Amino acid sequence: MKEKKNSPLKRREFLRMCGTAIAGGSVLAVGAALAGRAKAGKGDIFWQIDPAKCTQCGRCETHCILPVSAVKCIHANRVCGYCDLCGGYYRSNVKELNTAAENMMCPTGAIERKFIEDPYFEYTINEELCNGCGKCVKGCTSFGNGSLYLQIKQDLCVNCNECQIAQVCVSEAISRVDYATAYKLKE
Amino acid sequence: MMKRIFTIVSGVVASATLAAQNRFPKPDFESGYEYPNLQYAVPNEIVWDVADIVMLVALLLSATWAVMKRRKPMIWISVVSVLYFGFLRNGCVCSVGSIQNVVLALVDGTYGLPWNVLALFLLPIVFAFLFGRVFCAGVCPIGALQELVNIKNGRISKPVTMVLGLFPWIYLILTILYAATRSRFLICQFDPFIGIFRLGGDVELLAFGILLLVISVFTGRPFCRFLCPYGALLSLFSAVSVKKVELTKKKCINCELCHNSCPVDAIRAPYANTPQEERREGVKRLLGYMLLMPLLVVSGALMMRASAEGLSRAHKEVRLYDMVTAYEAQAAPEIIPLEVEAFYMKGRTMEELTATKDAIVADYRKYATWAGAMIGLVLAIALMRFSIKRRRETYEIDQSSCVACGRCFEYCPQNRVATKLN
Amino acid sequence: MKKDIYKAIAAVTGIFMLVVAFMLVINYFQVREITPLQTEVMETLKSLNENNGENETLQLQIRQLDLLSRKAYFVQEEHQKMGVYLLLAMAAVFVVCLRGYYADVKHIAPKEIDAVDDWLMQSKSRRYLHYIVGSLAVVALIAVAASNPQWFKGEENPAEETLIAEAAPTEEPAPEKVEEQESIATQEAEVTTQDTTTVASIPVQPEAEVKEEAKPVETPAAPAAARVNHHMFRGRNSNGHSSARNIPTVWNLVAGEKVKWLETLTTKQGFSSPVVHNDKIFYTGGDEAGRELYCHDLASGKLLWTLAADGIAGSPATPPQVAGNTGYAAATPATDGKYVCAIFATGDIICSDMDGKRVWAKNLGVPENQYGFVSSLLVWGSSVFVQYDNENIHKIISLDIATGNVRWQKERDTKICWSSPIIATVGGKAQLVLMGNPDVRAYDPSTGEQLWSVGGMGGEVCPSPCSADGVIYAANEYAKLMAINGADGSVLWEAADYLPEVASPVVAGGRVYIATTYGVLAAFDAKTGELKAEKELNMELYSSPMVVEGKIYIIGTNGQVCVLAANDELTMINTFSTGEMTYATPAFMDNTIIVRTLNSLYCITES
Repeated sequence: MKEKKNSPLKRREFLRMCGTAIAGGSVLAVGAALAGRAKAGKGDIFWQIDPAKCTQCGRCETHCILPVSAVKCIHANRVCGYCDLCGGYYRSNVKELNTAAENMMCPTGAIERKFIEDPYFEYTINEELCNGCGKCVKGCTSFGNGSLYLQIKQDLCVNCNECQIAQVCVSEAISRVDYATAYKLKE
Repeated sequence: MMKRIFTIVSGVVASATLAAQNRFPKPDFESGYEYPNLQYAVPNEIVWDVADIVMLVALLLSATWAVMKRRKPMIWISVVSVLYFGFLRNGCVCSVGSIQNVVLALVDGTYGLPWNVLALFLLPIVFAFLFGRVFCAGVCPIGALQELVNIKNGRISKPVTMVLGLFPWIYLILTILYAATRSRFLICQFDPFIGIFRLGGDVELLAFGILLLVISVFTGRPFCRFLCPYGALLSLFSAVSVKKVELTKKKCINCELCHNSCPVDAIRAPYANTPQEERREGVKRLLGYMLLMPLLVVSGALMMRASAEGLSRAHKEVRLYDMVTAYEAQAAPEIIPLEVEAFYMKGRTMEELTATKDAIVADYRKYATWAGAMIGLVLAIALMRFSIKRRRETYEIDQSSCVACGRCFEYCPQNRVATKLN
Repeated sequence: MKKDIYKAIAAVTGIFMLVVAFMLVINYFQVREITPLQTEVMETLKSLNENNGENETLQLQIRQLDLLSRKAYFVQEEHQKMGVYLLLAMAAVFVVCLRGYYADVKHIAPKEIDAVDDWLMQSKSRRYLHYIVGSLAVVALIAVAASNPQWFKGEENPAEETLIAEAAPTEEPAPEKVEEQESIATQEAEVTTQDTTTVASIPVQPEAEVKEEAKPVETPAAPAAARVNHHMFRGRNSNGHSSARNIPTVWNLVAGEKVKWLETLTTKQGFSSPVVHNDKIFYTGGDEAGRELYCHDLASGKLLWTLAADGIAGSPATPPQVAGNTGYAAATPATDGKYVCAIFATGDIICSDMDGKRVWAKNLGVPENQYGFVSSLLVWGSSVFVQYDNENIHKIISLDIATGNVRWQKERDTKICWSSPIIATVGGKAQLVLMGNPDVRAYDPSTGEQLWSVGGMGGEVCPSPCSADGVIYAANEYAKLMAINGADGSVLWEAADYLPEVASPVVAGGRVYIATTYGVLAAFDAKTGELKAEKELNMELYSSPMVVEGKIYIIGTNGQVCVLAANDELTMINTFSTGEMTYATPAFMDNTIIVRTLNSLYCITES
C-alpha cells in the first residue's frame, strides 16, 4: 500500500489539501452559477396585495407575523362616491345612519367620516387603528365603488423572506413587486 | 422606527393603477373640495441592502481579525450583530435563510435571486473557507445572541452531542427539498429567534426560542450545534479552511486548561490511540460500514420516495387539491372553506388542479428520492467517521465544529492575553 | 462587594422578569380564548338588532359591549408592547449582571485524561447511531406499510415492490411517447406555420382588414397565405364577411353535387352555428339533460369528440326554462385556434383544447331570460367576450381564454338583449361594440373602458351590429338602422325602411345589407343611408347573411339558398333549395362551406 510509506499525519495533510481545493473550487463554481442568476433578478423586493385578486377573506389581519398586521386599508378618494350610505362605513342592514356601535362596520373605529357638502361625505382611514381585517373593503367592494382596499404598508412590513399571509392567501393575491410598484393603487 | 430614516416618500405614481367598479359616479363638488393627496412611504431597500452587506463585511473582517490575532472583542461584535441584524433589521437579513433562496434560484430559472441574498449566502462561506467559521463566532445574530447569554458552560455527553450534531444535516436536506419544490421556506417558518428579534410573533416558536436561550445560558449554543443547517454547510468549508483557528501560536504544553472553556465542545484532548481492539477488527468494521453505505443510501431514497405524496402536503396547491376533493366528496356540504370558495370563484377546474397537483407530486418524488439518498449518505458517513481512530499529541481544535468564538484563547497560558488563573 | 451588587440586581431583575413573563402569558391566553373584536355574542346581538325592530335596550347592550371589546383590544395591545419592552430591558440587565457575577469564574478541566477517551466516545456514538438508523428504518417501514396495505397482500419485501411499482409506470410508456411526440411535433409544425399568419394578423387587424377588402387580389398572391378559418359567429370579428376564396355558388344535396360529405347528426339539438379551425369543426347542442360541445373532422365529417359541460360549480341543478325555438345551445362557440369556448343557456361557459380536453369551465350566474341565453362568444386575441345581458344580470365580461380568469367585467345598466358582440376597427384601434336596449355601446376590449354609447335602440334586440371603415351599423326591428361614427359616437345617418329582427346586418363594398325575418334583403348606401335596392327572397330567415368573394350568401329556414351579387342591384346569382331546415349561419373556408341544418352537418367543396 502506498499510503503506508507516509506517516498518517502526512496523509491527512494531503487529504486536507485536496479538500481545500475541492471546497475552493465549489465556492467559485456556485458563486459563478449564482451570479448569473442574481443578475436576472428583477428587483422584486416588496410584498404587495393585488386588490383585483383580493377576496377579503380576513386572513391578513391574523396571519401577519407582526403583532398588528402590516396590511392596512387604503382609501382611494378619487374612486370613492362620497356616499352617505357607505358600504364600508355602515353595516349592510343599517337602520339609522349614525355612529352608534350597532351600525358601524369597522371593529376598531378606524374609518373617519367628514361632511363635505350635501350629499357628500369624505372618508379617511386612521392607520393607527386599522388592523387590516378587510371588513370595510368587503362592504365597499360589494356595494360601492371599491375605493377601500387592502395594501401592505411598506413602512410597516418587515419584508420576510416568505410572507406568511401569502402562504395562506386563498386568492394568490400577494406577490413580490419592485420599487416602482411598491403599492398597487387604485386611482 | 429607525426605518423611517431611510424612507423615501414616493409620490403616488404607482404604475399599477387598477380599474375600479363605478357603481356611484364621481361627485361634482360645489364647495371647492379638493381631493386629499395621500402619499405612502416606501423604504429605500437598496440603501438598506448596501448597509446590510457593508455591516456584514465589517463584522466578518473584525471577527476574523479577532480570531486570527487571538483578541477578545468578540463580545462587542456579538452585541453589534444582535442589535443591528437582530433587533434593527428584525432578524430577516439572514444568511441561514438564504440557503433556500439560493436553492430556489438553482432550481427555478425564473426566480430572480436578489444580489444581497447571494452576498449573504456566499460571504460567510468564503470567510469560512479562508479563516474558519468566523461568521458563526459573532456575526450571525442567532449565534451572537446565544453567545451573549451563555454564562455557564455545562456539558452534554459527548456521544449525544456527536449524534445530535447530525440533525443539522438532515434539516439542511429537508430545507433544500422544500425549497426546491417551491413549497415553503422551512428555515424561515421554524426560526425560533425571529420572534425574539421582532418582539412578538408565533407563540409556540417564541417559546421554543426562549427555551433555547435558557438552555444556552447553561451550555453553549444549542441552536448552532444541533439545528443550524447553515452551520452544517459552513463546517464543510471550515474543516478544510486555508487558515485555521489556532489555540496558540506557540507550542501546546498540554496543560489542558483550554479544554473545558469551549462552549461547543470543539477542543479535542490528546489521544494516545492505545490499541483497545485488534486492528483487523477495526478495519473489518470500517469495511462493513462502507458496504452498508449503498444500502443506506438506496433504502433512504426509497423510503423518502414512498412518502413523497405525504411530504407534498406541504405545498399549497396539494393542500388545496385535498380540500376541494374533500369538499366535493361531501354529499351535502354545509360549510365551504375559504380556499375552496376562492377556487370556484376563480373559475379554476378540477382537471387543471389535478394536473398541477400531479406535477408537484412528481417533483416531490424526484427531489425526495435525492433527499432520502442524501440522508442515508449522511448517516453512513457518520458511522464511518465514528469508527476512525486518530492519534493526537496535543490539544487540537476540531475545525468543523469550532465556531471561532475565541473563548479558549484567554485560557491558554502560552497566549499573551491569557488571564491569570488562580 | 461588586459581586454582591451584581447578584442582588440579577436576583431582582430575574424575579421581575418572571412576573412580567407570567403576566404576558396570561394576557396571551386570555386573548387567544376570545378575540375581543370578533366575539360571537357581538355578532349575534348585531344581527338580532338588524332583524328586529327598534329595540333600545339591545342597542345599548351592543354599544356597551363594543366599548368594552375595543378597550380590551387596544389595552391588551398596549400592555403587550409595554410588557415586551420591559421584559427585553430586564433580560439585558439580568444577563449583564450574571456575566459580571461569573466574570472571573473559570472552568478548569479536571485532571483526568482517560475520562475523555476518544475511542469510548466514538463507540458509544456509533451505538446510538445504530439505534437511530434501526428505529428510523422500522418507523419508515411501518409508515410505508400503513399507507400502502396492498403491498403486503402478495409480496413480503415492500422495498422491492416500490422499486417495481415506481419503475414500471415511468418506463412503460416511454417508447410510445417518442413516436407520439414526433407526430405531435410534425403536426404542430404544420399548425404553427398555418397559424402564425392568422394569429399574427390579429393585433394588426385594422390594416389587415382594410387590405383584404381594398385589394382582394393581393391576398391570394401571397404564397404562404393563411388558411382562412371561421373562428366565431359570422366569421372573424363577427362582422359577417369572410376572406375565403373559391366558394361554390350552387350545390345539390340530393344529387350530391359538390357535397363532400353529409353527416346526419345524432348529437343534441342546438341552433348554434358551426365554427372551424383548420381541420376541425365545432358546434354545440343541448337539452335539459345536458349541454355539449362537439368536434367533427373537416375531411370526413366524422364526430371526433364530445365534451359535456357538466360538473360545473354554480351550475343550476335544473336548467332555466327556455323557449323551444331557442334551446339551450343557441350561442355559437368561438375558438382562437388553441382553445374552443362554448356557452349555454344555463350560464355555463366551458373551454376546451383542440382535442376535447376541458381546460376550464365556470358558471357566470344563472341567467333569467324568457327565451334563453343566446349571445354568441367573441374571441379577440386571447380574450373571450361574453355579452351577458339578461333580466337579472347585465354584464360584459372579458375572460382569459387560456385560464378563464376574468380580465375585466362591466356592469351594464341596459335591459335584456339577445345580440352578440363584435369587434370594430376605428382609427386603427379595436372597439368592442355591443347592441343593447336602449343603446349601442363601444368598449375598449383590453380594459373594458366604455368609449361611447348611442341611444335609440329598442324592442327585443337580437341582431348584432356590423362595422366597416370606422363606422358601426346597428339596426333592430321596432327601432331603426343607425350608422355611428366609431371615433366619437355621433350618429351619421338613420333609416327605417327595412329592419332586421334576428339576422344581423352586414356591410361590404359601401353598402349595408339588411335581411328581414320575412325574407326581404335591402341594400343601403353606407355613406348616406339611401335605400339602394330591395329584393323579396320569399323565405323565412333566421340565419345571418354572409358576404364572401363579393357575393351575399343567405340560407332560409326552409333550406332555400340565395347567392346574390353584392352590388346596387342585388343581382341574384343562384337560388336553389337544399331541403334541409337551416337556422345556423354557415362557416366559410377556402373552397369550403360548412352548413349546420336542423338534423345534419354538411360540407360543400369546390373540387
